Amino acid sequence: MDIFIFEAANQCIGIEAKYIYRIADNVIIVPVPLMPACYEGLIYYRGDLFDVIDMGRLMENEATMLRDDPYIILLKWDAGKLGLIPDRIVGMQWVENESGTGTVFNKKGDTIKLMTPDEIWGKLSGLAYGA
Amino acid sequence: MSRTSIRNKLILSFLVLLLLLMMIVAVINRLTHDFYTAQAISVALALAAGAIFGGYFSRSIVRRLNSLSAVAKEISHGDLSKDIPLLSQDEIRDLEEVFASMVKDLREMISDIQNVAGRMEETNRALCSLSEKVMASSEEIDASAKAIAKGSEQQTMIVQKTSLVINNSLDQMDAAGRQSAQTVSKIKDALVKTGSGETKARETLKYLDNVLSQIAENTEPIYRLSNKVDKIRMVMHVMDEVAQKTELLSLNASIEATRAGEMGKGFALVANEIRSMAENSKRSSQEIGRIVDDIFEDNKAVIEVLRKSEQDVGKGRGIITGMVGTFKEMLSGVEEISTDVKAVEAVTLRQVKEIKGLLAHFEALSRLAQENFVSTQKTTVGTKNQKEGMQKIVELMQSLNTLSEKMMASQRRFRLRGD
Repeated sequence: MDIFIFEAANQCIGIEAKYIYRIADNVIIVPVPLMPACYEGLIYYRGDLFDVIDMGRLMENEATMLRDDPYIILLKWDAGKLGLIPDRIVGMQWVENESGTGTVFNKKGDTIKLMTPDEIWGKLSGLAYGA
Repeated sequence: MSRTSIRNKLILSFLVLLLLLMMIVAVINRLTHDFYTAQAISVALALAAGAIFGGYFSRSIVRRLNSLSAVAKEISHGDLSKDIPLLSQDEIRDLEEVFASMVKDLREMISDIQNVAGRMEETNRALCSLSEKVMASSEEIDASAKAIAKGSEQQTMIVQKTSLVINNSLDQMDAAGRQSAQTVSKIKDALVKTGSGETKARETLKYLDNVLSQIAENTEPIYRLSNKVDKIRMVMHVMDEVAQKTELLSLNASIEATRAGEMGKGFALVANEIRSMAENSKRSSQEIGRIVDDIFEDNKAVIEVLRKSEQDVGKGRGIITGMVGTFKEMLSGVEEISTDVKAVEAVTLRQVKEIKGLLAHFEALSRLAQENFVSTQKTTVGTKNQKEGMQKIVELMQSLNTLSEKMMASQRRFRLRGD
């Protein structure tokens, strides 16, 4: 299975490649009030609205490293659209896992946490305002 | 009343007596015819008349002589108050007048003696007081003369010391004059050296100007280098952006390739390679950026150093310009000093001349002081002699006083009219 791997909160996180829509940059994020701290806002990309989440804050409630122009990983699946701000993008890799969840190891032996967009959305939905 | 001498009186009296006797004899002869009786009576009458007349006459003379004798006796007792009665009209009158004149003269003399004695006493008293004053003055003169002698001695010593000091000063002033001459010579050297220093400072200034322009010329390429490094940084930034875009593009390409499935695997490989190249390019770009930053920092440091050098050289130039000004001031100052030192030399020479004159005056003063010393010694001896003389005078005055007192005592024995 091809997964897209990125780093956030000192963790390697992998998402199945089929959910990845695009890697974007130079996109204006519009802040949304009364949302959790990891929720950065909304972006409009090629006719679609994406909720943008800082993955570092979502995972460990730590602020993402300051970047002038961060990449945003755009996810698109049947239930929704989501933009993730990683600390660093590792790239596309193939792993022996078909479930799309749990933990896998890459060729170098690094631990990669596999997550689905619903899982990420569910984690975001569980957070209160300002958390 | 006309005066008659005793001889005339005697002759007249004898003639009157003789006439009377002859008349008596004639009367008796008439009365008696006895010759002898007549003779006896005549003789008796003549004797009686002679005795009466002689007695009267002698008594008259003796009385006046006694009167004179009594007055003389009183005069001998010092009573000159009595007047001599001028009763006689004969030679005794002369005696009386002479006696009266003598008494008068004696009275005047005594009065004069009294006056003289009084004056003598007063004079003596005044002389005593004067002699005491003179004695005191002599003592003061003696003390003053001693003080003057001591002062003269000290003055001589001081004058000698002063002469010595002036001699030393004269030597020192001579030395100062020589020193002034040497100073003038040295000032001339200093003038030459200061002029040379000014010329060298001007040359240094010119050299510094050249160095400044050289620095400016040398700085120009470094500034250009700095601009170029800036441009390189801009290019590097563009390259960075290109690498970033390439990476993004390769990521999206690999996503699209994955989405294409088996058909896109080749494209995924290409995308991965492109991403790898973009990452390499990014790393190289970052490495070049660091190097360029280093170059930029070094260049900045070099520019800073050059600016500092320029500033230092500018400061040096300012200092050298100040030095040139200072050298100019030094030149004018040294010229002024030269003029002043020459004036000082002239003044010193005049002073030496005047001090030599002063020294001659001091030598004269020393001689005078010595003469003063001798004179005061003589004065001391003189005052001593004067003192002795004054003591003798005092003794003589005392004896004179005694004599005057005796005279006063003697004259007190005489009693004048009005006493």
